[in-house]
Amino acid sequence: MDFRFSDDQLTLTESVRDYLAGTHGPEVLRRLDEQGNRDPAIWQGLVEMGLTGLLVPEEHGGLGLGLVEAALIAAECGRACLAEPLVDTAFVAVPWLVHQGDTDGLQAIAQGTRTVPLPHVLNPWVADGEGQPLQSVDPLRNLAMFSASGPADEHLLNLGALMSAAQLLGLADAMLHQATEYAKIRTQFGQPVGAFQGLKHQLASCAVAIEFAKPVVWRAAQALQDGVASAAAHVSHAKLAAGDAAIQTAETAIQVHGAMGYTYEVDLHFWMKRSWALCGAWGDRAFHVRRIDEAVLGGSLPIGPEHTFA
Amino acid sequence: MELHYTPEQEAFRAEVRAWMEAHVPKEPLVTLECREGYDQHVAWERTLASGNWGMVTWPEQFGGRGLDLIQWLIFEEEYFRAGGPNRANQNGIFLLGPTIMEFGTEEQKQRFLPPMARGEVIWAQAWSEPGAGSDMAAIQSKAVRDGDHYVITGQKTWSSRAAFADWGFGIFRTDPDSKRHKGLTFILFDLNSPGITRRPIRQLHGDTGFAELFFDEVRVPVENCLAGEGQGWNVAMATAGFERGLMLRSPGRFQATAKRLVELYRAHEAEASPAAREAVVQAWGAAQAYAYNTYAVASKIMAGGKIGAEASLNKIFWSELDRSMHRTAMQILGAHAELKRFGNGQINQWLEGYIFSLSGPIYAGSNEVQRNIIAERLLGLPRVGAG
Repeated sequence: MDFRFSDDQLTLTESVRDYLAGTHGPEVLRRLDEQGNRDPAIWQGLVEMGLTGLLVPEEHGGLGLGLVEAALIAAECGRACLAEPLVDTAFVAVPWLVHQGDTDGLQAIAQGTRTVPLPHVLNPWVADGEGQPLQSVDPLRNLAMFSASGPADEHLLNLGALMSAAQLLGLADAMLHQATEYAKIRTQFGQPVGAFQGLKHQLASCAVAIEFAKPVVWRAAQALQDGVASAAAHVSHAKLAAGDAAIQTAETAIQVHGAMGYTYEVDLHFWMKRSWALCGAWGDRAFHVRRIDEAVLGGSLPIGPEHTFA
Repeated sequence: MELHYTPEQEAFRAEVRAWMEAHVPKEPLVTLECREGYDQHVAWERTLASGNWGMVTWPEQFGGRGLDLIQWLIFEEEYFRAGGPNRANQNGIFLLGPTIMEFGTEEQKQRFLPPMARGEVIWAQAWSEPGAGSDMAAIQSKAVRDGDHYVITGQKTWSSRAAFADWGFGIFRTDPDSKRHKGLTFILFDLNSPGITRRPIRQLHGDTGFAELFFDEVRVPVENCLAGEGQGWNVAMATAGFERGLMLRSPGRFQATAKRLVELYRAHEAEASPAAREAVVQAWGAAQAYAYNTYAVASKIMAGGKIGAEASLNKIFWSELDRSMHRTAMQILGAHAELKRFGNGQINQWLEGYIFSLSGPIYAGSNEVQRNIIAERLLGLPRVGAG
């Protein structure tokens, strides 16, 4: 029993975080927003980092890593508000295709020449796919109506929900950071507004919510990786905890920014809108509450102190 | 990340389970906050000690088992699975014990720790004063050096367990000219010393658990001072860290409450509201989240890490979770919630638990203070006011 990441996992996560922080700041989001949402150079950078092949088995030209590593990187994608379809293709579609035994196109994914927008019956549309375009509140999210209804595959849903939860953690962390930094520099009544307890306590409450959502997501990633019978309940728990933390942090962050928070000029809105979108994708809140309910109240999941890792 | 127990850990769990099943009282004990219940709980401390389960993480030389933190978590899970009583000696084993191990002399360790582990000496804490609650640096009670004794004069309040306990610990002003955090000394004292008057305080539920302590020239040998004169604030902060941190409220307690809440909901499903149903689901999730986080922190500490201000995140989370779970139970119970005993004579433990849960966000440093600590030390927001 050791609830820690390995040094390799932490090193990988830090390198991705540093890379995105250096190359994918808010100014990039603004440029994309004005100039068409996708930039092949950004995608190429992710490919060169090996991220498109993160979960592709080594014999197909990838790194052959697991869902825990993918969840850690997905959180970094959330932190950077990355718009490219890396998570959907590399962390949702790839493990699903491997699970299906459909390995033909994996090499192309690892090489970055193929993306796989996967519809699911729970998602009424698909991101970065072909079809009649739909406009999301998130200006960097390319949605399309998918002509046929997607599959109702549970494993695919779990992968999508888990990776959404991981992104929501990163989004929440980033919004808390933005709000905190703003509260340090904006002064009113002769002091930084962050010195007022009214703001401090709201921001502290977000820190609590995020802190206790994180291990839920990591535990769900490990459960899905190990294929344990209860994985679905843990994934739903992760989506619920991370989604609630992100929404609480988004609302707090806009409040802390005051009227500036209500403008298109402040960076926050990109992160907030991505949070709204991901909260509803891959099973909305009601769906995931219901799945936990079925496991916990329905009795299929053993509960109580001796069943922490059931 | 390895989220499976080793065969040795599973064997340890089986050992704890067998002992708990054989020894945990079948009927709930009377509340710790009255003479009868206190005596029952002290007897339980001694039963625990007879099985060498009094304080499992302490080194063997002081009466513990020298177990690591994962084993401690397993122990706690089994303790609460079996419905083990509240610990009469929690101030000693979770707060003072680790403090003495960190700051005490060899003589102090030998003198105080084994009787604590055996449940022979029950400890009360004496931090707060009428004018020093959240603002603990405002302490005024004085300890004046007189030869090889301190002479203590002053008043402490909200001293948990002090109505019945044997010994107490707290910080006192040894430098009369000092201000705030300076000039304070951490002192251990026999609650039956001449000059100490205990005035039990009737609590919200009507029973007396904590007490006011009046010190009228109480003579305490200087060897009862911990870590040297003037070091009191640093020692107390370390103790407070233990209190907010890992050990005071282990996750098993809340997972057990969440499980009982699920059972309560099932029994009242027909009349309960959909909102209560979702609150029950959330309670399970939050108790699990608290457990995962504790395992993560325990793993970090075992690998040589430390916890600092993160302890404040913990304290807020468990105290507000406990209150919300009991509030949900009260809502599910509806009209029955107000009954101290149900029609069948059973004690309404949800009511007792709800009342107790209201103290959680206040004691061990109010949650407002914790939120300030998070904002200032973890988020780096500017400090104001507090000196």
